[in-house]
Amino acid sequence: MTVLGEIALWIALPVALWGAIVSFAGGRTGRGDLVLSGERTVHVLTFLLVVASLGIIAAFLGNRYDYYYVANYSNRELDTYFKVAGLWAGQRGSLLFWTLLLSVFASIAVFRNRRRNREFMPYVSGTLLGLLSFLVMVLLFAEVNPFERMGFTPANGRGLNPQLQNYWMTIHPPTLYLGFTSFAVPFAFAVSALLTGRLDSRWIAVTRRWILLSWFFLTIGIIFGMRWAYEELGWGGYWFWDPVENASLLPWLTATAFLHSIQIQENRGMLKVWNMGLVVTTFLLTLFATFLTRSGLIESVHSFAQNLRIAYIFLGFMGGLAAFSILLIVHRLPSLRSENQIQSFVSRESAFLFNNLLLLGVTFAVAWGTLFPLITEGLFNQKINVGPPFYNRVNIPIGLLLLTLMGIGPVIAWRRASPRNLRRNFTLPLSAAALTLAVLLVTGVRHGVALATFAIAAFVMTIVVTEFWKGTRARARIAGEGVMRAFASLVKRNRRRWGGYVVHAGVVVVFTGLAGAAFDTAVVQELAPGEAVTIRSAFGNEYRLVYESLSHSRPRVADDARENDWRWTALMTVYRNGERVDIVRPERRFYPVMDQASTEVGIISALLEDLYVIPRDVDLDSGADRVVFEVKTLPLVPWIWSGGLLVAIGAVVGLWPPAPKRARVAHRRRAGSPLPAGAPG
Amino acid sequence: MTVILGGILLAAGVMLVVLEPVFSGRGAPLYDGVDDFDKGAARRRVALTALRDLEYDRATGKLDGTDYELLKTELSREALQHLGTRGAGGGDPVVERASRELEEEIEQIRRALREGLQCGECEHLNVSGARYCGRCGEALAVHGGAS
Repeated sequence: MTVLGEIALWIALPVALWGAIVSFAGGRTGRGDLVLSGERTVHVLTFLLVVASLGIIAAFLGNRYDYYYVANYSNRELDTYFKVAGLWAGQRGSLLFWTLLLSVFASIAVFRNRRRNREFMPYVSGTLLGLLSFLVMVLLFAEVNPFERMGFTPANGRGLNPQLQNYWMTIHPPTLYLGFTSFAVPFAFAVSALLTGRLDSRWIAVTRRWILLSWFFLTIGIIFGMRWAYEELGWGGYWFWDPVENASLLPWLTATAFLHSIQIQENRGMLKVWNMGLVVTTFLLTLFATFLTRSGLIESVHSFAQNLRIAYIFLGFMGGLAAFSILLIVHRLPSLRSENQIQSFVSRESAFLFNNLLLLGVTFAVAWGTLFPLITEGLFNQKINVGPPFYNRVNIPIGLLLLTLMGIGPVIAWRRASPRNLRRNFTLPLSAAALTLAVLLVTGVRHGVALATFAIAAFVMTIVVTEFWKGTRARARIAGEGVMRAFASLVKRNRRRWGGYVVHAGVVVVFTGLAGAAFDTAVVQELAPGEAVTIRSAFGNEYRLVYESLSHSRPRVADDARENDWRWTALMTVYRNGERVDIVRPERRFYPVMDQASTEVGIISALLEDLYVIPRDVDLDSGADRVVFEVKTLPLVPWIWSGGLLVAIGAVVGLWPPAPKRARVAHRRRAGSPLPAGAPG
Repeated sequence: MTVILGGILLAAGVMLVVLEPVFSGRGAPLYDGVDDFDKGAARRRVALTALRDLEYDRATGKLDGTDYELLKTELSREALQHLGTRGAGGGDPVVERASRELEEEIEQIRRALREGLQCGECEHLNVSGARYCGRCGEALAVHGGAS
């Protein structure tokens, strides 16, 4: 199977090149046979890449350590599901997996548009196949071939990095990659619109749901990554402004800006060049995130391999794509002129524009901080890293402004709004914000950023709830429906809008959760079995943790299945305000083959806060089983995950196909007629 | 040997699928054939959606009377322009129905506003036949418009 996978990868290269060439040629010459051949190539390529990926997975499952990639990321003791996930554990497999996902999305796009948006399709296929050709070439010729064999077969592999041996590893990278790769489809449609000159809002209508889909995957991918860091890295945080975290945030920021600015183009025929720029930038940033994750160009907890060559290849490719896109946009500038102008500063389009500028501001700040070590090394031959203080100083004020705009935007009407209306619409939310502020000040909260966040969160949440309430009430009165039915039909009739409000509500909850970090408490204490540590949280709860015992799992024989996995597990009973609530089992692990230690934290989650237990050190010499524990209370952290879930639900509401359309498809299938062009693809 | 044979078969299969259209002359469609209609229909839908949102903005108190009237005039003009394209593509029943539903919804909201069900003072939408606002007690302009 593995050899067949390698053969499939080699066949994929000429096939992809052929497809790219005939697709563009078919579009240019108007030859349908070439276009069809190109579209078939997309599906065939997907099949070949599936075979190649299965080949790698088979090598992992079959312990084929003669393959360099398998020997470096697996060993006999590794659990089966981690072996399957080995496909994306290292740089080589990740690139293959990325290529596979891209080809799957290309296949879906080609299949869904087999009868509609036909003018776009030759160039869409051509662009996607061009990207795929490049990636297959990199896989085969840039020293990252996952099928490369060594001249010998080691008895066992090196094993998977301990920090990756976590169930989040099986879902976080694929989710993020789904977000990165699916954005290639809107990019391909944008390129196609530029090449064909069809620059009205149609390419946006076609790709709108693709963009939301990418955004959805990027969002949950980032949140899964935060959760992974929280559980696995063992320091009680979820975001470290690590270069790779930043790299995944960059396309999310520009995609968020794009999701808002396309509404201005759709409603007002404005910002056409801006939108083209954003879609190109977002796609380039997904490439940036991909190569940065694994290349080691910038030091990161994610850089498990150093391969600068691939970094430079990707940089060159991105440069080429950027230059090509800019040339196309400049060439089409006359057709990209705005149809309207902003009529008033106090209008929804103004708020959206300001939101875009702020999002781009954060993007620039994060990109600057991420690339700063490279820039200083290039200029002064000295790497200077910027840490969390830089990012927090720049991004917190912008983030709070964005949060405020999230409330303002939906309440202002398109085109213009009068001061009287603003007063009427903002009185209640501003009162809610003032009340929140007053209550917090009275209860003794003095942290400026947290106070601002909570007040703005109250402001935005009041607006979101009021919007739902006003809309439902209006609908109920106008259509004579009951409240529940009115609410359902309101959402059903404009899923994008109301799904967007749910996303806003989720973001408010996430921001509130993030602000909770201002009230963390921590204590570090060395304990012997039977001793206890006490900590008080910001919400006034007193936790008492009794260290009961320590269990060891050091192997007794050399070929023990746990040879590469030694564990010391502490057992602690947790009391909250004198009442026993649970037990935790924080753990220290050691992986002798990789000479690496790791920590498994103990977490107890409640509605308002988490209790987080880190075993810092285990005293192995005295035999007294003494352990140094760091115990933290982390207020509002559970809100981050709940908010993330709400964001995901909102995105799904926005993505859900409208009921009439489902009926339309069924109707058309029955009638045997083609689908209407311009329907979202 | 088996692997080599498998590889050859794979390559042959791939070539057959990919090259077949070129040799047989079978092609994919290059145009939708309903494009002009679609352009007009899409613009009309955008204009109608904007009108519907405007009515909702008014009904939920985001717009006051003056702004509402001004914007309504602008948007209605745009919608009317695009209504000229109606049926140009052969009257697709699906798009027609969707547009008709939108227009009916707009009319429904307008009727509610026109009949003075919405209080000019507090934007409360009152039940049909009400003479005074159920929330603030303000007299409703029953036949004279919302504000």
